Amino acid sequence: MAKIIFKQPDGESVDIDARNGFTLMEVAVNNGVVGIDGECGGGCSCATCHVYIDANFIDAIDPPTEYETDLLECIVGYTERSRLSCQVKVSDALDGILLTIPSDQGLA
Amino acid sequence: MPELVWTPRNGGHWMATTGRLISHIFADYKRFSSRVLFVPKENGEHHQLPPSTIDPPTHRPYRALITNGLSPRGVAAIEDRIRTMAASLIEDLRPNGRCNFTTDYAEQLPVRIFMNMVDLPMEDAPKIKYWVDQTTRPDGTMNYADAIAALVSYMAPWTEARRGGLGTDLITGIVNGKVGDRALTPKEAAELCAQVLVGGVDTVVNMLSFIMLHFATHPESARELVETPELIGIAVEELLRRFPIISDGREIAGDMEFEGVAMKAGEMIVLPTVLHGLDENENPDPLTVSFHRSTANHSTFGNGAHKCPGAHLARVEIRITLEEWFKRIPVFSVDPAAQITFSCGVVGCVDRLPLIWDPATTSDAA
Repeated sequence: MAKIIFKQPDGESVDIDARNGFTLMEVAVNNGVVGIDGECGGGCSCATCHVYIDANFIDAIDPPTEYETDLLECIVGYTERSRLSCQVKVSDALDGILLTIPSDQGLA
Repeated sequence: MPELVWTPRNGGHWMATTGRLISHIFADYKRFSSRVLFVPKENGEHHQLPPSTIDPPTHRPYRALITNGLSPRGVAAIEDRIRTMAASLIEDLRPNGRCNFTTDYAEQLPVRIFMNMVDLPMEDAPKIKYWVDQTTRPDGTMNYADAIAALVSYMAPWTEARRGGLGTDLITGIVNGKVGDRALTPKEAAELCAQVLVGGVDTVVNMLSFIMLHFATHPESARELVETPELIGIAVEELLRRFPIISDGREIAGDMEFEGVAMKAGEMIVLPTVLHGLDENENPDPLTVSFHRSTANHSTFGNGAHKCPGAHLARVEIRITLEEWFKRIPVFSVDPAAQITFSCGVVGCVDRLPLIWDPATTSDAA
C-alpha cells in the first residue's frame, strides 16, 4: 500500500490509499481524479496521463523506457520530472508521493 | 516449476510460468514480437490484425485509433446505459428462480453493449461470436484462416459505408482516423475493426461466468459483497487477479540467451495470464479470493504497448453486474443437477452455468 497524493489542475489535492500492483493511471481513473484521462488504457500510446513526479521520489521509480521517453518528449509541458502515469506501478516505496497533474494533456 | 518451460505440444513452444516473466515479456517488444500471438503458430500466422500484431513504434498510431470511445471518458458516457441494461436483464431472470448464466446474462450484457458501441445490428451478434470463437477456441467446424477472413469481409462494407460519416460509434471513429498524415486503406480499416470485434465479444463474457461461478460456490464471499457493497470496486480487481482467461503469446524476435535459456528466432512463447495472478510470490495464498489484500498483482489485461484498451470498460461492466445482481439476487447456487465443465484455448470459458435461487429471497431493488 502507498498513499498517493494527486494535485489536480484546479489546485485541489486528493489523497488515495493505493494497493500495490496498480499503475498510477489506474489509481487515478478508478478514483475519479480530475485531469488524468488515460485514453489508451495504459498502452503508452496516447500521452493523456502525464504527471510531474515529486522530486524526492525520482530515485524510487524505475526510469522511463526508451518507448516512453519517445512519447514524453512530444507532449505539452515536458520536463525531466514528467512521467506517463500508466507506466509507473504502485509500490511501498511510493508512499507519500505527490503527483502534480498538468492542466493540459496530450501531444504538443 | 522452472520459470521457463518448453512443450512439444501445439507445434512446440516456450511457456513463462511466473508473474515476473509474464509481465516482463508482454512489455519487451524488442525481444518478443507480437507478429504472431497464438499457438499453434501455423494458426497464429493467419491472425494478422492490427494493432495487435504490429510492434512499436509502428503500432502506436493504429492503437490510438481504436482507443477512442474505450477511454474512461467514453465509458463514463455510457455507464448509465450499461446499468439500465444490466438491471433489466437481471430483473427478467429474477422471478424464474433459475437461469443459464452464460447464455442468459454473460453473453447478453457485454455483447449488447458492444454492438451498440460499434453500431452494428444486434442480430449479427451470434455469427460474429461464432467466428470469433473459432479464433479463440476452435471447435473444428471452420479453419482459422477462414474465420479471420469472415470477420474481415463482414467488416469491410460497414467500414467503407462509414467513411466520411459523422456517427459517434467506434467504427466511424476508426475508419475516419489517420495514420500519420494519411487515411486508412480499406483493408486496414476492416482489419482494425475486426480486431475490435475479437476483443469485444469473447472476453468479459467469459470472465463474468468464472466470477459468478465463484460466488455461486462461495456463499460467504457473496454475502460479504451483499452486506458491504463498498467493497465491490476492490472485489473487481481481486476477481480479475484470480480468474484470468487469456493465454496468448509472443514470437521470439531473434536468436538470444534469455534467463539462461537459448531461444531461437521464430520460436513461440506462451504467456498464460492465469499464472501471474496465481503466482504465490506475487500474491500470497493465491487461490483464495480475498477482498482485503494489499496487492493486486496480475497481467490479466497484458502489459506494455498492447495492454488491453478495453480494460476500463471491462472493469465497469463487471462492477455494475455485481452491484445490480447482488441487490436483486443475494443468495444463489449452482443447480445441483448441472455438471460444470470448462473449455480452454486462447480464451478460456465456462461451458454452461445453470444457477438457481429462491425468488422469495430476491428483491426488485425498486
